[in-house]
Amino acid sequence: MSTRKISLTAALFIIIYIVQEAFVTQLQIAGGGFSLFLIFALLWAALSSPNVGALTGFVAGFLIDLSQSTAGAFGQWTLVLVLVGFGISYLGLGYENVRLNPFTITFLVSISVLAARVLYLLLSLLLGSNVGSFTSVITSLLIGLLWSAAVVPIAMPVVARAFDFINDTRSRL
Amino acid sequence: MARGGENRGRLLLIILIITSLFLITLDLRGVSVISGVRNGTQSALSPVQSVGATILSPVRNFFVDVVYLGRTRSEMEALRTENGELKSQLREQRSIDAQLKQLQGVLDLAGKAQFKVVSARVISQGATTSFTQTITIDAGSRNGVKPNMTVINSYGLIGVVKTVYSNSALIALASDPSFRIGVRVAGTQQIGILSGQGTRKGVLQLLDNQSTIKVGDILLARGSVNNQPFVPGVPVGEVTSVDNAAGAVTQTADVRFFANFSSMGVVSVVLDAPEEDPRDSLIPPKPQPTPIPTVTVFVTPSQSPSPNSNGTD
Repeated sequence: MSTRKISLTAALFIIIYIVQEAFVTQLQIAGGGFSLFLIFALLWAALSSPNVGALTGFVAGFLIDLSQSTAGAFGQWTLVLVLVGFGISYLGLGYENVRLNPFTITFLVSISVLAARVLYLLLSLLLGSNVGSFTSVITSLLIGLLWSAAVVPIAMPVVARAFDFINDTRSRL
Repeated sequence: MARGGENRGRLLLIILIITSLFLITLDLRGVSVISGVRNGTQSALSPVQSVGATILSPVRNFFVDVVYLGRTRSEMEALRTENGELKSQLREQRSIDAQLKQLQGVLDLAGKAQFKVVSARVISQGATTSFTQTITIDAGSRNGVKPNMTVINSYGLIGVVKTVYSNSALIALASDPSFRIGVRVAGTQQIGILSGQGTRKGVLQLLDNQSTIKVGDILLARGSVNNQPFVPGVPVGEVTSVDNAAGAVTQTADVRFFANFSSMGVVSVVLDAPEEDPRDSLIPPKPQPTPIPTVTVFVTPSQSPSPNSNGTD
């Protein structure tokens, strides 16, 4: 991976992270809203190879752990996104039609966001954190899934173009 | 070759997972470096977040408002209704407070004069069809009210009971053009006839051509036989201007009634009065000017003069 790719990718991730922290978190979105950065990271991982997906997940998770709004232990999101980033890129790489179909990638990323949150929740339970009532957890997960399904199609063309520009590839998304 | 790449991939994944677990362990063990990194990031981001908050402040609640539009509308409607009810209660409370104040004043006056009174609320004011100056009160013959009884409020004379019904009574106000009352100038024995003029102003005509009055003189009701229609000593008004026209048989003056006939809430009908005339005891006290606070500053000169003020240099 060239220095240009690494620096451009890092800059892009930091910009999206700042947008998430400075603007998206300020919006009072119903049901807790969505994480633009999480969706972006998983979309990026879905377009990448499994190794890059895992690395992307690691960097993204580390940045999310740095956020003040993250209540859990530091490294929790890092671990979750390493696994989910690897998983989504592995699934995307294995099924070419999944990777190239906007509808299936929307489905894949939305489910990955849900999986990441569930995994984070389980990890929190293992670490002894209080996660709230069952009803509130289920409601939050379902609303998060709906928001992801709504945001992914909007973010996907932008992420795909940025990915193609940085990696000199031509995506058909 | 392919197997080597796959192994490297697995190795990378394992390293990343171990690193994550290492970070979690460090955080759970309370290593200050981890919290320091998080605090540093937050310090760096806070100016950007402030800018974001400023930019997004007009639209921050847009999404919530859109989602909860129906609920917000119904809440607004409920709050509007509640606000209306509270405003109505406040108006009612203010009205009650004003009536209470008036009642307290009139009872003070009646108590000072040892009048036996029945208090009543003004339930109707004015008669646009007959052009007379009247009010209707919610006390009538059942409360002991009879025609020709004196009606007062906290400031003094209001009028006389004109017609009595079982639960209400019609009062002729002192401002009515047909109203006439015998008055006495407080502190003297000068008497005259005060006539209503349809407003708060009345006209006094002295009966004795030797008498003189001046601006500021207080007029009191002179009283009638058997205290009907007027009980003696009730404050009526104050002389505001004197007519000294040459050739006039008697002196006349403009009088301002103490009672404000346009804002009456509670009045009292004098049912009975003591035998003795209260004389000038019911004259309302003159308003006291508000004292201006003064500040006195005491300065004690210092015992040792400053070096520059001794004139030796």
